[in-house]
Amino acid sequence: MTQTLSVPATETKRKPVVRRRREMTYAVYLVPSGVLFVAIILVPFLMNIGISLTRWDGIGRPQWIGLENYTRLLSDGEFWASFEHNIALVIAMAIIPAAIGLVLAAVLFDIIAKRFGPRTASILRACIYLPQVLPFAVAGIVWSWMLAPDNGALNETLKKVGLGSLREDWLGDPKLALYTVMGVMVWVQIGFPLIVFMAGLQRVDPSLYEAAEIDGASWWRRFWYITIPQIRPELYVVLLICSVAALKSFDKVYILTNGGPGNATRVPAYYSWQNFFEKTQVGYGAAIATVMTLIIVVLTAVLLRRQSKAEEDGS
Amino acid sequence: MLKTGKTLAALTAGMLALSACGGNSGSSSSPKELKLWHYEGPDSAMGVAWNQAIKEFEQTHPGVKVKFEEKGFEQIQKTAPMVLNSKDAPDILEYNKGNATAGLLAKQGLLTDMSAEVTKRGWDKQLAPNIAETAKYDAKGIMGGDKWYGVPNYAEYLQVFYNKKLFDKYGVKVPTTFDEFTAAMDTFAKKGVTPLANGGAEYPAQQYLYQLALSKADRPWVDRYERYTGKVDFHDPAWTYAANTFSDWVKKGYIAKNSVSVKAENAGTSFISGKYPMFFSGSWWYGRFEKEIKDFDWDTFLWPGTKMTLGSSGNLWVVPKGSENKKLAYDFIDITMKKDIQNLLADNGGVPVAADPNGVKDPKNKKLIQNYQTLAGSDGLGFYPDWPAPGYYDVLVAGTQKLINGSASPDKVLDSFAKPYDENLSNIGH
Repeated sequence: MTQTLSVPATETKRKPVVRRRREMTYAVYLVPSGVLFVAIILVPFLMNIGISLTRWDGIGRPQWIGLENYTRLLSDGEFWASFEHNIALVIAMAIIPAAIGLVLAAVLFDIIAKRFGPRTASILRACIYLPQVLPFAVAGIVWSWMLAPDNGALNETLKKVGLGSLREDWLGDPKLALYTVMGVMVWVQIGFPLIVFMAGLQRVDPSLYEAAEIDGASWWRRFWYITIPQIRPELYVVLLICSVAALKSFDKVYILTNGGPGNATRVPAYYSWQNFFEKTQVGYGAAIATVMTLIIVVLTAVLLRRQSKAEEDGS
Repeated sequence: MLKTGKTLAALTAGMLALSACGGNSGSSSSPKELKLWHYEGPDSAMGVAWNQAIKEFEQTHPGVKVKFEEKGFEQIQKTAPMVLNSKDAPDILEYNKGNATAGLLAKQGLLTDMSAEVTKRGWDKQLAPNIAETAKYDAKGIMGGDKWYGVPNYAEYLQVFYNKKLFDKYGVKVPTTFDEFTAAMDTFAKKGVTPLANGGAEYPAQQYLYQLALSKADRPWVDRYERYTGKVDFHDPAWTYAANTFSDWVKKGYIAKNSVSVKAENAGTSFISGKYPMFFSGSWWYGRFEKEIKDFDWDTFLWPGTKMTLGSSGNLWVVPKGSENKKLAYDFIDITMKKDIQNLLADNGGVPVAADPNGVKDPKNKKLIQNYQTLAGSDGLGFYPDWPAPGYYDVLVAGTQKLINGSASPDKVLDSFAKPYDENLSNIGH
């Protein structure tokens, strides 16, 4: 025997109307950011795609050449070489800082805060975050002074402590320059994951740690089996934001090495800029920018999907 | 929603209009105002002289105000093509000489052809032929053409700045021949002193290299390279000698192996600090060295054993096509070419194009001008190596860095110069 609950017809109609109206009201709040998005991102991006299909020196009339810039890009060894350098920057700006940030966050949260008080942990966190606040135009120039082969602080220090044989031309040796830039990038980035992970750790249920401690789990095991799984969503956010920042890197390379020595540290964003402004090959520069944008969009989509899956698993 | 659509459409249309290349529309400034841009620092020779020219202009043009806007070199370099198309364009501005800069704007019809004015006001009589060459462009935007698109009123050239204290300390005489120059460098190197200050990350290194090539070159060689008057062979005797010698100098310790990442500024300041006995660089350092070198005496000599040295006119005064006060702009240029302004430029360590050396007080500044007149008089200004193609500066930086750190042979480096050079030729339809 089944009983059907009949709802008055008027009500069945009314509910969706109310909901629709409410949704419309919410949509109004999206208008300002929607307008800005279209004006600042979408329109210039579409124009950039348009320009990438032309040969243009930045002045006068662009000449339509279809996909020629893209076919040239596919066989451009210099672009692919710069792309490899970009992968190195992703490692230096996303993967290494995320790994170090994770350990540092756990140490500050779990050991320093407990033994020396939350204030000490906050001060240390702020110190580590400082490079994120400094404009890189300033920090980069100071780094290049410190890394200078003659009278640079690093080489002078090595000399003073009797390690003179380890002195190098850090930014001038093609075998070392990329690693040096990577090292500076790790210093710049490390504060960001730390802040995000420490915020993430705040929401982990302390009883989990207590239970593990009672069961005799070491600090390392607690870190591995509780901390990392619990803050997986934050981990994806950090990887996403830092990877995108690494793929867009321009200022770091511009200030530290200008893409040199030779082309040992050139990255696509810098290569695109060179084509835009130095070589006045605006169409080709736009093609590089378009390809990089597509790569970033795909990477973002993959990481966002991973993140939402991690959140689902977590909940 | 409809309203939003309209706003969007208006915004989009506005943006497209902003980015589209339109002609000059409407009045940009009243006839009572001359809008002028330049990027020289207020203390530099040009800055001092041109500020005086602005005062004189306002005195001779009662009721007309000069609206001077100081810009950065990079700012003008990177945005001029877009700005000159807009109503924000100035009436007159300082702009870079060369095919990839002034030539490109001239080719696109953004600059005024001043030929008639140059003849009428007699500026062509004041400018030596190789100075005029950088102010005249043809229909393809290549310098040395038939039409005047700019007027330079200062010049620049390279010479060897040397530290007298270090020369005395190591018993080195000022060289007058190339062999003596090499012997001098050898003396320093054997005493553990690197003789030449260098910056591999910027222009100094490529200027050493090009100077070595110029020492085996002549005017037709320079014309082929800079003005595409004939085929350029990057493995000819001049280029081969330059690349091999440069590489050799690094091996012998005349140029520091670790100068790869050094910027021009640091190369200059290392000479100022007395670290290096010599620095081959441009007259643009002159005023600064005069002000900042306190611990030792210094002087200059031209690169020995060569007919040609790097140098050219300075940057140009150009008048945008859309300028509505062209006559006022020409009047201003006229004032900058007058003897008193030219001598003021000289007294502040600049190289004027039309000065009277007898009117220059400082003996060092006098020598600076005499050296220039020696070069200009013998058609010895060989321009700069990065002019032939847009983006060529970076190519030369990368190549010379490889020569310094030995990561590529001279032969390979010369190959790397040839490819983008030839690409540019095909791009401009040569």
